[in-house]
Amino acid sequence: MIHLLAFFLYLGAFILWVRFLLSGARGDGPNVASAVVGVAVVVHAAALGSFWARYGELPLAGPGAALSSLAFVGGMALLALLPVRQVSRVGVALLPFITVCLGIALLVGIRPSDQALVFQGPGFVLHVTFAFLGYQGLAMASAAGFLYLIQHHELKAKRMGRFFHFIPPLATLDLLGQIGVWVGFVALTLALGFGWAWTVQHPGVISLSDPKVLWAILSWAVFAVVLLLRRGRGRREYRSALASVLGFSLILGSYLVIRLTSPGSGFLP
Amino acid sequence: MDRPKTLPLAVVGVSHRTAPVEVRERMAFAPSEAEQALLELRSLAGVEEAVLLSTCNRSEFYLFPAVDRRGLAAAEELFRSHAGDLERPTADFLFRRHGEGVVRHLFQVSSGLDSMVTGEAEIQGQVRDAYERATSLQVHPPMAGPVLNRLFQMALSVGGQVRAHTAIGEGSASVASVAVELARKIFGSLRGKRVLVMGAGATAELMVEALARDGVRGIFVANRTLERAVPLAEKLHGHALSMDRLVEALPAVDIILSSTAAPHPVLPHSLFREAFPRGRRRPLLAIDIAIPRDIDPRIGDESEVFLYNVDDLRKIVDDHVRVRAGAVPAAERIIQQHSQEFRSWFASLEVVPVIRNMRERAEAHRQAEIERLFRGLAHLKEEDRARVEVFSRRLLNKLLHDPTVRLRKGMVDGAGADLVDAVRFLYGVDAEGRPEEGAPNPPTSREEGEGDAIQSKERSG
Repeated sequence: MIHLLAFFLYLGAFILWVRFLLSGARGDGPNVASAVVGVAVVVHAAALGSFWARYGELPLAGPGAALSSLAFVGGMALLALLPVRQVSRVGVALLPFITVCLGIALLVGIRPSDQALVFQGPGFVLHVTFAFLGYQGLAMASAAGFLYLIQHHELKAKRMGRFFHFIPPLATLDLLGQIGVWVGFVALTLALGFGWAWTVQHPGVISLSDPKVLWAILSWAVFAVVLLLRRGRGRREYRSALASVLGFSLILGSYLVIRLTSPGSGFLP
Repeated sequence: MDRPKTLPLAVVGVSHRTAPVEVRERMAFAPSEAEQALLELRSLAGVEEAVLLSTCNRSEFYLFPAVDRRGLAAAEELFRSHAGDLERPTADFLFRRHGEGVVRHLFQVSSGLDSMVTGEAEIQGQVRDAYERATSLQVHPPMAGPVLNRLFQMALSVGGQVRAHTAIGEGSASVASVAVELARKIFGSLRGKRVLVMGAGATAELMVEALARDGVRGIFVANRTLERAVPLAEKLHGHALSMDRLVEALPAVDIILSSTAAPHPVLPHSLFREAFPRGRRRPLLAIDIAIPRDIDPRIGDESEVFLYNVDDLRKIVDDHVRVRAGAVPAAERIIQQHSQEFRSWFASLEVVPVIRNMRERAEAHRQAEIERLFRGLAHLKEEDRARVEVFSRRLLNKLLHDPTVRLRKGMVDGAGADLVDAVRFLYGVDAEGRPEEGAPNPPTSREEGEGDAIQSKERSG
């Protein structure tokens, strides 16, 4: 029930941002939308806390619980941006991801995993938390990159319409994208490090050919490519924005393929 | 007292709608002159409250109260003496508004609806300055007293609301401000950004000044000859360079403003390639307002170059002006609503003391009657007395509720003056709500007590 409330609050915040965009960035939209995001994150935290109290474990295992936590990390990231004028508008691109994650979590049910996990303890908590932070870093970079591409297009097309007024400056979006990718890359590297350390301690439980492991390596490679593309000559910002959007889409797409083709994969026995 | 049926406010002045710039500049008041003018206006015509709004596009005296022509005549005389001899009589250039027209006019001014460029934002600050100048004068009573204080506060609030809730200030409405807006959307902060100015046109100069206000620092001025570049460079606190050093300067700059009179492009694509053999790495905003164009249009196809020519900028400005014009009806609705609010507030100034007195007198009657009743009913218990007390209060409130509401509404609708007169006559109160001389006062309990005693003696006898 509390999760449902958080879902509607995220959805409401997204609708408010869209309304603000359509109004040509006029009125008190940002303040109201920011306040709703703040409330949504608090309610979401309460929902996750209630899960912990009820089941005696962190909501990290089980698809619904994990997706809710992933959405929560995104909400926290957005909350951190709220005080920065204009930058918080990136919420219009990030909130759909957060809302969809939480929506799917609600659909599949937010409860602990049915099966006992082999990988447990603080190592598991750190592994999953860093992984969530990593994916949300890329989600943030992707949201900023998406807005960057639109603003770039508006400027090239010499249009100063609603999008032009609503979307933050190119330099701001580029900086946000860089921060997202770097934070995400470091976090995902740490997550993989914790995962690898566990497999060393428990050889044979999970193999390199496991789809989830392959997916994690693919994600890490995507980050690396996004960062490498930034180092080349010419159009660095544009390339980086495009790579963030495509890389994030690739990670999401491949995740869906893995879920559909091998639903039992992962750290389950 | 004769009370006007309309608001006793007036405004007299010149604006871009009534006078050419040659006349407006003669009638403009510097801040120190404005203060002197307000003091003179008070001493000459006994005006209680006055504010002088003087900008490059308008000079206007707002006066309260304006029940006769003395204040207006004195303000017109001030304009005449300040402007000196003009080709035509000063009065020919002046406009006047009275009553609610003043409220609407000021709200339109502060919202930018009466500006030369519809929706321009500077006027809001100028209205605030005018108001603060009047309030800062150390005179008693204050130059911006309760009425003009309220009027100007509301004007500032209305201006803010119109800008927030309509498209009246959408986009930039001048080429220079469009350049700044574009630069902000590309670079975010302009602090430390470098500009290359090619040519010495007035518009380019305006653009550089606008960019400099936003933090742009390194300014390079390039001209065909170095000698011609030096004066503008000195004026803009920049560096002069000749056109043959463009290749060296280009990699260092973020913004190019070009307005030379050259008959051919001064920045051909080949020169750009020479400066950036592998393409530009950082964004470059290039604004070319020269005709014929100074910057090869093919440069605009480069990935990190945002090239705008004079037609692009004009189209953007025209689009913005069109959007702003479309927002005028919505802005007028906000102004209408707040004009009504001001009228209600002003009406309440007059009716409040009358209502208060009416209620005080009725309350005095009630208390006297209650005391008299309780003296005759000494056996009543305390709780019964309380019930009677509550009953009498409720009855009084119910009886007075409708007249109070109707009186307020009557004032707002503009037909309240007669109502106020009627109430004053019926209740015998003066303009400030005090009981008039000779008006019957509510009987005191002692007097009524004596009456009861006489009556009871008569009955017993």
